Amino acid sequence: MSTREKIGWGIGGVLIIVYCLFPIAWIVSLSFKSSSDISNGAFLPTIATDENYATILTGDAAELFLPALRNSFGICLIATALACLLSMFAAYAIARLDFPGKKLILSTALAVAIFPVISIVTPLFNLWREIGLYDTWIGLILPYLSLTLPISIWTLSAFFREIPWEMEQAAQVDGATPWQAFRKVIVPLAAPGVFTTAIIAFFLAWNDFVYGISLTSTSASRPVPAALGLFQGASQFESPTGPIAAAAVIVTIPVVVLVLIFQRRIVAGLTNGAVKG
Amino acid sequence: MTSTLERPAAPSGPPPAPGQTPTRSARAEGWVRRAPLLPALVFTIIVTQIPFLLTIFYSLQSWNLVRPGSQQWVWFDNYVSVFQDSQFRGVALNTVIMTLGSVLIAVVLGLVLALLLNRHFIGRGIVRTLLVTPFLITPVAAALLWKTTLLDPTYGLINFVLSPFGVGEEAWISDFPLASVMVALIWQWTPFMMLLLLAGLQSMPTDQIEAARMDGAGAWAIFKELTLPHLRRFIELGTVLGAIYLVNTFDAVYMITQGGPGTASANLPFYIYQRAFLGFDIGQSAAMGVVVVVMTIIVATFALRLVFRSFGAAEGSN
Repeated sequence: MSTREKIGWGIGGVLIIVYCLFPIAWIVSLSFKSSSDISNGAFLPTIATDENYATILTGDAAELFLPALRNSFGICLIATALACLLSMFAAYAIARLDFPGKKLILSTALAVAIFPVISIVTPLFNLWREIGLYDTWIGLILPYLSLTLPISIWTLSAFFREIPWEMEQAAQVDGATPWQAFRKVIVPLAAPGVFTTAIIAFFLAWNDFVYGISLTSTSASRPVPAALGLFQGASQFESPTGPIAAAAVIVTIPVVVLVLIFQRRIVAGLTNGAVKG
Repeated sequence: MTSTLERPAAPSGPPPAPGQTPTRSARAEGWVRRAPLLPALVFTIIVTQIPFLLTIFYSLQSWNLVRPGSQQWVWFDNYVSVFQDSQFRGVALNTVIMTLGSVLIAVVLGLVLALLLNRHFIGRGIVRTLLVTPFLITPVAAALLWKTTLLDPTYGLINFVLSPFGVGEEAWISDFPLASVMVALIWQWTPFMMLLLLAGLQSMPTDQIEAARMDGAGAWAIFKELTLPHLRRFIELGTVLGAIYLVNTFDAVYMITQGGPGTASANLPFYIYQRAFLGFDIGQSAAMGVVVVVMTIIVATFALRLVFRSFGAAEGSN
């Protein structure tokens, strides 16, 4: 490759990386700026301050933000656990057992996955108010399951298809009971796939906004994205940029940390599920 | 509803080992095999389809929540007024522009990034990890980030960066509302496309490229004749997946522009939400919801068939 080409690629690369990452660096920097610093346009804060984080975690906005964090964690973890459990059985059946209608089931899951959420939110809102699920944890967990289950089934059945199932029989030949063979041989092999699925499911539930804003009304169950939305709406004329930046950083951290730790697996999971589906 | 939640307890015993019960009739056997599937499937169908049936039911009624007792059957009146509503048509057009525009630009940028990351250079792993971050940011937070810190006329980074070029206090969000939303969407989805296309690039046999290079093919010729055809199905897949998700974009519109000014940047999900939760017009919004579902099904059927065909063909030829 000629030097000119190399330089061209280099410049292109740097530009794109700046485009992807600079906004993130900027919001992190903003979250540490004091209110007098916010609009000065400088990249680094003159004095790093934690006042924005203090506003969010102990100050004025804590009432809105802290319960939301608790709700989001609780609701998303429960929804993720249930989605994994249910999709494990489904994926096992799809990968392992032969029966007519397998393809139909996978396409049904796909059809549900692309079903426009917005067209079922209004009836859910009415229904939940009728049966007392409005503004409760269960009222969000149920729709989150419908959000996470189809993808979980797809990802997990792609993983389960890769498992060398003969090993289960080999273990049984060696004297293990079917249950032992499943637990001691298959479970360890399946664990990475389940784990990846769990992260993807958590990611989907954590990022939801439509359900969060339509099916809740108080801090009893309002998740973080909805709280962020209100946080901004309440002060439309003088936007509290610093605290918003801090809140955005806090909301994003759990997901980014999870994904960065397990990135390889997730990338493999996403591409497996998508390509081999 | 809660009873569905407890269902998974039932089949959680040892998994039905295949071929263990030859005495049972084949039919019963089939159902035993399907049993592990049922909880997940039944649950998803209940949670999504019962509300959808309700949506269809609502769409045949005139029903405004702020006028109690206004609920009555009007059959297809709502659909007629939806199709006569010029705002609805404008919003539908916005949705198409927003979805296709964002997906296509994200695919192109993602392709450039993937090509870049497919080369060996120092720190490639770190760069790749960092580049994925925009995709991981909670969409609401990303939208806020673009609205309050990048596109803002006075504090915004973009105006700050462009100020040497004579751009003053440009109010991006009110002057270019649709483009502002799209920029945020593109920014979030580029890494996803990159990951997918990178997987495609890495699955490409290198010997072909070597042979082409030996024969004196230039970089552009190799890209056009070998890389692009190989990537075609990955590009298709990325486009379809991206489009399916982006058609339902709600958070970015809600956070950045609230669909405004007027309905200049509203897309269908936001418009439906607005009609239902701010206008309380349940009947009309339900009718729009049904229209959106039908359109999604039509588009998705064609798009997915395309993708499955090209993946199927590729697998057959391997």
